[in-house]
Amino acid sequence: MKSWKEEELIRCPICEAVTIDQGKKNICRRCNSKIYQHQKFQTEKSWAFLITAIIFYIPANLYPMLVIKQFGHEEGSTILGGVIVLWEMGSYPVALIILFASVFVPLLKFLLLLYLLISVKYSLGNDSKVDKHTLYYITEVIGPWSMIDVFVVAILAGLIHLSSMEMVAGTASTAFALSVFFTIMAASSFDSRLIKEKR
Amino acid sequence: MKTKITSDQLDEFIICHKCHTLHKKAFISNGSKAVCRHCKSVLYHRDDALIDKGLALSITGLILFILANVFPLIRVDILGQEQVITILSMISRLLESGYYIVALFVVYLVFIFPIMIFLIYVTLFFLLKTAQKEKLVQDLLILLSKILLWNMSDIFLISILVSLVKLMSMLEIHIGLSFWTLTLFVIIDLYMTRSIHIGELWKIKEEIYREQK
Ligand SMILES: [Zn+2]
Ligand SMILES: [Zn+2]
Repeated sequence: MKSWKEEELIRCPICEAVTIDQGKKNICRRCNSKIYQHQKFQTEKSWAFLITAIIFYIPANLYPMLVIKQFGHEEGSTILGGVIVLWEMGSYPVALIILFASVFVPLLKFLLLLYLLISVKYSLGNDSKVDKHTLYYITEVIGPWSMIDVFVVAILAGLIHLSSMEMVAGTASTAFALSVFFTIMAASSFDSRLIKEKR
Repeated sequence: MKTKITSDQLDEFIICHKCHTLHKKAFISNGSKAVCRHCKSVLYHRDDALIDKGLALSITGLILFILANVFPLIRVDILGQEQVITILSMISRLLESGYYIVALFVVYLVFIFPIMIFLIYVTLFFLLKTAQKEKLVQDLLILLSKILLWNMSDIFLISILVSLVKLMSMLEIHIGLSFWTLTLFVIIDLYMTRSIHIGELWKIKEEIYREQK
């Protein structure tokens, strides 16, 4: 019977089985899913999604997230503007949640993915395999947090729409939602098999 | 580990989902769990009543989610007029104002995916309990693993709390009945994603249908 070394075994992302790494034409032995079939594009797809996400993140910060229309007067607030208003109002915990979810999480995800994408091609110091897998896991887990501000805008706009006072979504909400989407796509199209122990 | 692993031994091993360390599975008693020697995250559990528990939890979750869509989440009084919001009214409002992309994200992340996941859970546990339709069970398990990542009801609940704080200073707000059913739904949802790993369902599935053959 054929036998395998530890380095030849991978985890199926679909059914979690231990399965054999067959290089470019991988099919899981248990669930028959095609896994990691990137062919000649190993990191390019992930790079493309990541760059798109970073581009969308710029208008997401420059344009208003929420527009408040009150007695014929219109006022938009950006992500950072919203955080500052909350801070001045004294709602420190909520200001911190928004700052964490809309600024800290997206930037951390960009940096982690950049680091992973660069480090699988070029050796950066003596970084271990387990640490990089853990970093990859973190990028997947913190992703959804950045949707908080988009949901908040959807809730406020859905709740307050009277002629005297109205809240509507701003351009930044579309840009921000797209940025989050492309970051999640960049993370999930990253080929974690590229993380290998350096000898 | 320098030893070689033969093809028929592969099922005796597990790779940690977080740090990808390879482990040989050890026997554990009912109700306990095995953790990774490197990062201490849970590798697998042993729960002999998993199917019954899963079925009960997923039916409860589904009912709670439906209720969370029937009643208002929040009510506000603005200049004597009462305004209410439900998940679906929020989405239709986004569509009316032309924010189609945001509406699309919201409808998938907080409505379609959560309801799909719980419908899949109910069907899966029912089929596993009655040992029927192996092929369908496999397809559902594959579909489930692909959409689990896109369920954001927990983040949505946090967003409701943030919105309440934002509005508190300017308006009189009331928490609606659906807010509580959504909270209970999120608790069940979090408990299920933490305690039921897809890999364990595959293992149970293999045992059930092997006995049948
Ligand atoms: Zn598989
Ligand atoms: Zn681990």
